[in-house]
Amino acid sequence: MKGSVLLSVAVLLVPVLSATETADRAMQLVSAGDAASARSLLAQAARANPADPVRLREYAEFLERFGDPEARTVYRRVLDALGSGGDAATRQAAAERLAVLELLAGDSAGAAKAVSEYRAAGGAGLNEPPSGPVSSGGHPTVEIPGPLRSFSRMAAISRAGHVSDVLGAVARNVVTNGYQASHSNDALDQTEYLKLVIRYLAQARELEKLAGESKMLRVPGCESAEAGELLRILGFRMRGGCGAEVVLETVNASRAFLTTDSGFPVADLEQALRTNRPFEYDFRPTEVPVLYGPDYWTSDRKDKGEPFIDILLSDPSLCRLYLGFSKLDPDTATALKDGIPVARIRAFAHVLDFFGGMFEIRNGKAMYPGGARAAGVWADLVGAHPDKGAEFYEKLLSKDDGWLASLYDALMRIEGPAQAYLTDPDRLKRFYTAVRGRITSPGPARPVFRSNTDMMLLTTRLHMLPNGQPHIPGSVQVWRNLFVSHPHGKYDGKLTKLAQGWKEPDDVLEALFALSRKAVENEPLKIFMAVSDLDRRRKQPLADATVDRLAREYRIFGQQYVIFNDAPAVRDETIIQFLDTAQSLSKIRNQNLRSDAIGTMQALVSLWQILSRQGALPEEKTDTALSGILSEFSTKVSNSRDVFDGGRNGIKLLLTAAGAEQGTDPQARLLDLLAGSPGDAESHGRLVQQMNRVLESQRMVSLTLILELADHLESVAGGQEMNNALLTRLASRVAEISLPRAPLTSAEKNAYAFGYWTEKHIDEQRKTNLRAVVERARGDAEKLREARGLLAPFLRDILVAYSYAYYAPPGAQILYTNPLFVRGHDFLGVQGANQTWRQTETFGSGWPANAGGRLLGSLTGLPYALADAEQNFLIPTETQALIWGDLVPQMMLSAKLPRWSGVSGVQLHWVGLHLRYARHLLAKAAIHPAMRQALLETLSSKAPPRRTHFVARALESGDAAAAADAVLPAELYLLGLKMASTGDAGDPFVTAIRQLAASSAPAVTEAAISRAFGTPKPTLANSYQPELLNLRTFPTLMGYSSRIMAESWESNTLYWAALADELHIRPSQLNLLIPEWTQQVVERIFASHLEDWPALLYSLRTVGDDVRAKTRQTLSASLAGSADR
Amino acid sequence: MKRWLHWKFLSALAVLGAGSFLLWAQEDAVFRVKVDMVVLSFAVTDNKGRYITGLKPSDFRVLEDGIVQKISTFAEGNRPPVEILDNGTVRPMVLTEDGGDGKTGVESRADAFVGTSVFVLFDTSNFMYRGFVYAEDAIADFVRGLDRADSVAVYTFSRNLSRASLLTKDRNDAIRGLRQAVAGDDTALYNGLLLTLRDAAKVPGRKVVIVFSNGPDNASMIAPDDVRAVAEDEGIPIYVISTNEVNRDPISSNVFRRLATRTGGKAYWAKTWQKQVEAFESIREDLGNSYTVTYYPKANPNDGFRKISIEIASDVGKKYRIRSRPGYRPRTSF
Repeated sequence: MKGSVLLSVAVLLVPVLSATETADRAMQLVSAGDAASARSLLAQAARANPADPVRLREYAEFLERFGDPEARTVYRRVLDALGSGGDAATRQAAAERLAVLELLAGDSAGAAKAVSEYRAAGGAGLNEPPSGPVSSGGHPTVEIPGPLRSFSRMAAISRAGHVSDVLGAVARNVVTNGYQASHSNDALDQTEYLKLVIRYLAQARELEKLAGESKMLRVPGCESAEAGELLRILGFRMRGGCGAEVVLETVNASRAFLTTDSGFPVADLEQALRTNRPFEYDFRPTEVPVLYGPDYWTSDRKDKGEPFIDILLSDPSLCRLYLGFSKLDPDTATALKDGIPVARIRAFAHVLDFFGGMFEIRNGKAMYPGGARAAGVWADLVGAHPDKGAEFYEKLLSKDDGWLASLYDALMRIEGPAQAYLTDPDRLKRFYTAVRGRITSPGPARPVFRSNTDMMLLTTRLHMLPNGQPHIPGSVQVWRNLFVSHPHGKYDGKLTKLAQGWKEPDDVLEALFALSRKAVENEPLKIFMAVSDLDRRRKQPLADATVDRLAREYRIFGQQYVIFNDAPAVRDETIIQFLDTAQSLSKIRNQNLRSDAIGTMQALVSLWQILSRQGALPEEKTDTALSGILSEFSTKVSNSRDVFDGGRNGIKLLLTAAGAEQGTDPQARLLDLLAGSPGDAESHGRLVQQMNRVLESQRMVSLTLILELADHLESVAGGQEMNNALLTRLASRVAEISLPRAPLTSAEKNAYAFGYWTEKHIDEQRKTNLRAVVERARGDAEKLREARGLLAPFLRDILVAYSYAYYAPPGAQILYTNPLFVRGHDFLGVQGANQTWRQTETFGSGWPANAGGRLLGSLTGLPYALADAEQNFLIPTETQALIWGDLVPQMMLSAKLPRWSGVSGVQLHWVGLHLRYARHLLAKAAIHPAMRQALLETLSSKAPPRRTHFVARALESGDAAAAADAVLPAELYLLGLKMASTGDAGDPFVTAIRQLAASSAPAVTEAAISRAFGTPKPTLANSYQPELLNLRTFPTLMGYSSRIMAESWESNTLYWAALADELHIRPSQLNLLIPEWTQQVVERIFASHLEDWPALLYSLRTVGDDVRAKTRQTLSASLAGSADR
Repeated sequence: MKRWLHWKFLSALAVLGAGSFLLWAQEDAVFRVKVDMVVLSFAVTDNKGRYITGLKPSDFRVLEDGIVQKISTFAEGNRPPVEILDNGTVRPMVLTEDGGDGKTGVESRADAFVGTSVFVLFDTSNFMYRGFVYAEDAIADFVRGLDRADSVAVYTFSRNLSRASLLTKDRNDAIRGLRQAVAGDDTALYNGLLLTLRDAAKVPGRKVVIVFSNGPDNASMIAPDDVRAVAEDEGIPIYVISTNEVNRDPISSNVFRRLATRTGGKAYWAKTWQKQVEAFESIREDLGNSYTVTYYPKANPNDGFRKISIEIASDVGKKYRIRSRPGYRPRTSF
């Protein structure tokens, strides 16, 4: 509103405002969050003064800052307005910016023209861009019979990838899916996947032969001999005589399966036969590049004459070597190839595959973590000096079956104080010795996924203090005690002995390194990380006694610690109170009562978490609110009335702490709070509506009704008449609760003791007849009061339902289809498994007679578990798309859990400016070689050497768009941030960034941006608080599957923020739009494997482009409409 | 202008079928307005299972919880529907491209209530691996043999659903989509069926879902009975062709039987290609010989499951059997 008033006044004044005044007013509008009006104002000023280069330039710079494609046109008009006689510096600047924009738009000719204009204006330092896309390396090629599309379908490779990546993707699939252990001997058997690929190749060769010299399958007509032969190869035959009646049917099931599975156009062939028209199908083989050509890989083989693709498919170890090489940057790969015989390096292919991604040889020297002071120790450990490049890596690969290489890889992925500390020569030796152990085999690269995950977590997440020392939660003493006298037995006999002499932090770290080589779960490391992450956010670290208690009870309550990270102001006493309460509730013998009590308590804590995280609870009240909730359950809970009272008091406490006025409708108020700050009434209303929809689908009794009924029972006990309308409302809702469906068949029941208490819980509610109870108790005030205990299960469910509704992922179906999903949450779990305080899990999917899947365990992992349960309802747009298990729930979680109501337009613009500035710099580097080195150095701190190398080649070849597209949005942001600090003050991006930093300092601090556009990382950082960790993306890790890998991806929200800024979308709208966009991204991902980040990036950009196109179309239409009027 | 709004509103209702509306007023008060049109398909057979055709609207009485309903439209097989006037006479519905017939509020698409929208859901999971290509042949034959008025969509599923071919009258498009199906891994039959029903529910007029599956489900998060409830409420009959033997997997067989009978569809066990072709033929016959009526339910305080019964007025009709969905829940959507 304020913005539009400002605009109206400004627009009226456009004719009389100076260029500077117009720019100032536009800036004010942007600061007020109304960039659209600023654009209109500048556009109008430019229209009113078409020959004024200053106004045009201001408009062009504004458009450029917001990534508007119109910027190119307006810069061109600036140059035209300046003419040849204008100010040379201004002409140079405009031409330079135009050249960069043309490059990013992929218009080399336009860029070349702008560079000429730049030079004509006296500019120097810019080269004309070389034309042509970045080359794929010029490797020799081999043929794969038939179209790539068919082969890709059979080999499960994304069509979105580049042809040069095909063999690498094949190699990866063969390594991970191609072979399995034989039942009869030590040899490996081909899997069904690989057998089909091999059979397909045989069929494709037959078809290729049939296609002849022209490589074109041709069937002149239905009765031709070619038709018969083609159908024979395809495994089909004609039914019915030639003509309209002919149909194709299977005659050879194996062949026909390959035909359809490979996507041969059978339907088109059938249609051609039916209409007696010629059928033609291009069956040219596909040329795919082979790294260094086939001869390199087959030099030590006897079957060299075989087609290379067959050799590759038949040899998993060759595949692993190929895969290892394909992860290296080309210069390093060439150095290794030239320096190490293929037969030798092949023996260590598994190590190269897992730990070679960070290898880099520059000028003949190997890069290593720790800088010059660590060179000697690396030389000692490896057995060759890093200066010897290939030899260093050869020794590293062959050392200890990969233990040293795994340490090298983990340390190369980090930077800063942690790397400096861990690569201290003495420590490095000490920690390596611990990691290596005495028995080195099997090494960490033997399994399908890298096994010593914990070491990577330790090095990446080690909390360093400002004094350069690592933070040890509690004290060394706490850890010594834990290792010496652990309540659940020893972690390691040797470490238990050594622990008695521990004095310094390195003793603890050494033990953690040593344990990270073990295949069993590394509980000490998990405790260390969980408590470190608590301390990391707290003003005062936890006291020794608290850490000791947390460490000792980790096994039972450890999954709950993540809760405290949502409110770092929680005191030690409250944390202890939580553990005491949890212990006390776990001792309730009556299972139903225990389930209700724990469910109610956990639901309240879950709401407290949400409200604390969103800032609805003032920081100073978070501790008292949690402590108050816990107090309701700390004392003995002996019956359902106690549970009800605890729930009722807990919710009142939360509402009061959040500032709810007395007398407001509790359900409405709570939903209002959950929907976040109502900055934008429409978005806020829709969020409330979405939650209401879940509550309605789950047939919940509203909190308001439950509390009214309880209060009314009290009044009736005091002599007031019973309000029948209230009872009727409850009864009609109760009638809607479906019968609990048998969760198991009898056979399944024998296998699992599961679901019994959940059924009882639901059944208890169905049998509730409050009216009858009230009538029976008429005249007995105490009994009437006690009747509120009957409402306890309803209260538990509505409280649990709020969290389910809040976290409901995009595309959810279960929440709207299974009306017992929330009621069916099983807080007790499988008998004997003690799941009450563990992570939320999905359970019970896939039994044909079952009651549907449900969630069990505590509520701490609810956001992820819900997304996990609902993910298979997303519908991929590609039939073959790989929607992989752990990435999708994390993406949905990251789209749903953070809320952007409190985010400002300034913050969106801050991110947008940095991303676009980084793209601008990358494009400029294509024509300004002097800039490249600094940019690539910065990029290399986040991107792996291979990708950095690709960007370098793309810039050299002038393909700026390819270079910029290869950089992840999270990397672009960091690149922009780093470069802006030293950037040219005259650059419009730098100017705008510095202006924002000066005018809105608190909103654009590193912490504020991290909070606004980060992602929750419950596994990696033990916290749901959104944050940016700015890490390199992780590989897939054994034990954690790909959850950590998924959590290390931070690009989505930053990308959406920049997009919203570009399209002038209000931040509060993101609460609705980001989940929607993310669903589209997931549905469009077409990946070949688990680490196929480019596929995700491609999908992200495709959705972004669609949003851009649609929004701009709407904007143009509305502008055209207003012009007409 | 007013009239236009009115028809648009009713058109939207028709699209929703048994849908409903929730309007938000100021001060966050919630008003639920339920205006449902029920689409009811049913087949009439004699005691030998032969279809009885040629019955008139006046031959039927439709009751909801015992309350007699006024039938708005009536159609037999794939013939165009007729409108039932207040005096019981019928007249052909004049369907225009721009806004329906102006009285019943049916969807604006001229052919919305002519023919059936058939959704074929093809199991491409591991369980179907062996019979994959034969199944495709049988489905292709079925698609070719559909009535010209019918539209068909081909969906496939394993762990996720895939829309191989969207609803189309072009048989070649549908077969092309079918022949592009890719063999998958896990079987989430009920997840896939739910999503198919959700798509089908958005289509106006009469629609059916045909499931072609081996049976066992190892990945669904949704229970078959929850899916069945959606089909019941939306008025979408489910036909199931199992490529298993009926006794081989009794759990799945029971579920299939329940899904089919409770929604007004049928279940078939067809292990061989020939049996599959026969099953499809039977479905085609069922579609061609069913009746479809629509009505707006009279006032009924029951917000839970409403029992539907169809009676045949004449004495001879008392011997006939009527197969339809047993009822539905008027659902409030947001």
